[in-house]
Amino acid sequence: MRRFQPSATNPWNRVKAAHLLNRAGFGGTPDELSRFTGLRVEAAVDELLNFESAQDVAFPDVDFTAIHELYEELVRLRRSRGEQRAIRAAANQLNRANREKFQEIRAGWVSRMIQTRRPLQEKMVLFWHGLLVSGFPETRSAEHMAIQLNLFRRMATGSFKQLILAISRDPAMLAYLDNNTNRKGRPNENYARELLELFTMGIGNYTEQDIKEAARAFTGWSFAGNEFVFRGAWHDDGVKTFLGRTGNWDGSDIISIIFEHEATARFLPRKLLEFFVYQAPDEPLVAELGGVFKRSNWELKPLLRTIFLSEVFYSDKAMRTQVKSPAQLVVGAARTTGTEIPPLALVRAMDLMGQALLYPPNVGGWPLGKGWINTASVMLRYNFSTLLLNGAMPGVGGGRRAAPGRVEHLIEVAKVKTAGDVVNQLVDRFVQTPLDGRRKWGLLRAFGTNREDTPVAVDGANFQNQLRSAVHLVMSMPEYQLT
Amino acid sequence: MTRREFIKKGLTMVAVGGTAPSFITRTALAMNNPWDVAQVTSRPGVPDDRILVVVQMGGGNDGLNTVIPFTNDAYYRARPNLAVPQKEIIRVTDELGFHPNLAQVKDLYDKGAMAVIQGVGYPNPSRSHFKSMEIWQTADPEGRVVRYGWIGRYFDSKCPVCEQPTVGVNIGQAMPLAMNAESGMGVSLDNPETFQWMPAFNGLGAREEQELFKLLNAPAPGVDAPGTIDFLRHTAMNAYVSSERVRSAVNGYRSGVEYANTRFAYSMRLIAQMIAGKLPTKVYYAHMTGFDTHANQRGTHENLLQQLAEGVSSFYKDLEAQGNADRVVVLAFSEFGRRVAENGSNGTDHGTAAPMFVFGKAIKGGLYGSQPSLTDLQDGDLKHGVDFRSVYATIIDKWLGADPSKILGYNFDRIAFI
Repeated sequence: MRRFQPSATNPWNRVKAAHLLNRAGFGGTPDELSRFTGLRVEAAVDELLNFESAQDVAFPDVDFTAIHELYEELVRLRRSRGEQRAIRAAANQLNRANREKFQEIRAGWVSRMIQTRRPLQEKMVLFWHGLLVSGFPETRSAEHMAIQLNLFRRMATGSFKQLILAISRDPAMLAYLDNNTNRKGRPNENYARELLELFTMGIGNYTEQDIKEAARAFTGWSFAGNEFVFRGAWHDDGVKTFLGRTGNWDGSDIISIIFEHEATARFLPRKLLEFFVYQAPDEPLVAELGGVFKRSNWELKPLLRTIFLSEVFYSDKAMRTQVKSPAQLVVGAARTTGTEIPPLALVRAMDLMGQALLYPPNVGGWPLGKGWINTASVMLRYNFSTLLLNGAMPGVGGGRRAAPGRVEHLIEVAKVKTAGDVVNQLVDRFVQTPLDGRRKWGLLRAFGTNREDTPVAVDGANFQNQLRSAVHLVMSMPEYQLT
Repeated sequence: MTRREFIKKGLTMVAVGGTAPSFITRTALAMNNPWDVAQVTSRPGVPDDRILVVVQMGGGNDGLNTVIPFTNDAYYRARPNLAVPQKEIIRVTDELGFHPNLAQVKDLYDKGAMAVIQGVGYPNPSRSHFKSMEIWQTADPEGRVVRYGWIGRYFDSKCPVCEQPTVGVNIGQAMPLAMNAESGMGVSLDNPETFQWMPAFNGLGAREEQELFKLLNAPAPGVDAPGTIDFLRHTAMNAYVSSERVRSAVNGYRSGVEYANTRFAYSMRLIAQMIAGKLPTKVYYAHMTGFDTHANQRGTHENLLQQLAEGVSSFYKDLEAQGNADRVVVLAFSEFGRRVAENGSNGTDHGTAAPMFVFGKAIKGGLYGSQPSLTDLQDGDLKHGVDFRSVYATIIDKWLGADPSKILGYNFDRIAFI
């Protein structure tokens, strides 16, 4: 892939630095933009990519002790043939506690996306959660989901082949796609089908018979507690023919055969291009990246480095053309404004916008691009700014009207003399690219003027209210929905 | 009032700084012009006020445990753990019966207000959720790369009225491909209360902010290249011009009929409210999910059938109370049925043909098509007898009064349920 070569006509600049921070992470503050603009593009990319060297904030693990105790109590009641009512009550209590843990994990994850000093790592966790999908209600255990997220974090940019092997043995996934009950004689095809269609190769590269044979190979792959177990008695050790290869295959053999195919070499590169660059990338581009992927022995880092340093990544087709996912919108706003909002409210806002973390719509994960946008979601996305400004938005707590929050931290007050200064600062923080004159004029109107050079008094009686309106309007613009 | 006057009214409604982009003018025109929607159906003999409600049963409904061939030994042999015991089945004929949890829709069946079209599918069936759902939504099994949905193409065939955003209303978080039209995307909403743009607290004042909102979201022909940003502007303006109308339609009607406390029943109630509120809508879309029962199917599937029956039954009662039951047809489908033989997880894997359901006071209820053989299978799956596009063709032609051959690309046989 052609490398991006900064030049006088096509320099590495603030807009490109913002692009990199947005796509490879969840966006940067004006200060971070300035710092990244001052780096060479390679240094900027490598800083994001080699996140292991960044000392991250200490994020607390969710404590599942109480869940374990409730579970043991339920088992004890059942064993001792306790009263049905008591058993039901204990089961309900466990379910409730488990659902609360789901909320705790979701809130913790969003906080982590906002606070992390390793933004690419969390971006990849989100990518994997949307690709190798598991979630409630099929995965009942919150702890299993926490374990899976940690797996994604640990293997975020490692070997894809190793990750596929690991996810095939992951309790949350085994439960989500029912492989935990896949047994000899009457195999369950669910995991085998989605492994081929959605996780590694894509539709059209295998037959229905291949799915049936792969399902046989994965019989007996199950879990107990939080651990993978291989149930030998359930495993079909007969001969299978998969993608033209005949042998006494088990699940790991199936994965090895999958990774011998060109379709697999192209599958993940295409997904990464769609997630990080643009949708429907040309086949030659995908094939080229597939070559990089094969040569890297399925390691992600060389692939990501190639993408983030490519000409195509900084092309007009890529820049500011991606619809922000709800996670990108919500986390990005919290991160770039430094506004503190209870994480559960942010999670709820994302739920309403259609991206309920750990509650994916189906095994296909979430849409991309325009799929996020419809009449309802666009209103929710626009109204989201009121959660930042007022602490409440329609559908999220606090009633329609909570108290107005402070907003002056969104601008650098010392550098403000005119309405144009305020508008320029807001555009830099939120849109991160210049606006056309007409839209800019719309924002000036929020300060009661048609002219950029109209002086404003930041300590004036109405300034806070005007600023609040202006921020709300900026975030209610189509431009803000894109990155 | 003349069309010109409507245009003027539309302009004053949304004008910003003395100019209104043509798109807004057209939308406003359609919103203000109640008889425009009537033009969506204009063929003599087909009343103009008919409504279609599509119910998507996502995940692949186990048709064989829904409409059950209860005298067929092959059914019980294939389903040692999952077969519904004969004595529990609600008999429809000497050979076929409904799952016990469909009791409430059996009442509709007995009134002639429910049609079951058996063995519906398409050639070379895909067992992928995503591919098969796309095929059902585009009505394009041949993979001709159809970008718009079958309902969207119906809207497109009735332009310029198609530009009215509320011609199609989806209840849910994501707009289905089926409703995607060249002429626009329609309205999608989940909760009417959040379907509005809120001005900032203590800001400039709502009025001024609304004006600026329109300016910042107005499509600008000749200035902005078409693309995602243009799509966002159109969607935002669709939302803006339709939100008040939708909310007032919903808020203007309280049903006396009781609905179950489920997501699906909520959707059906919302649709009933919009119908009562005279929203100018031809097609509504509602969703059920969770039919992908690979493991421990029994409880899940029973529960889903219960939800379907309760939701449809309450909706029907509500429409009767409104006096609208004659105007509305409900069409329920799933992307595929399930494998005849159960798997070792007390579930069923992806299959092929399955029954479709049509509800409505104006239809001719009963059984259509025939139950596919349980022994003459293709790769363990049922062979379809009725192409789903025949069902669509019947609806498009006999219910909506449009030409199905244009929309579906071929003149499929009609089925006698309408």
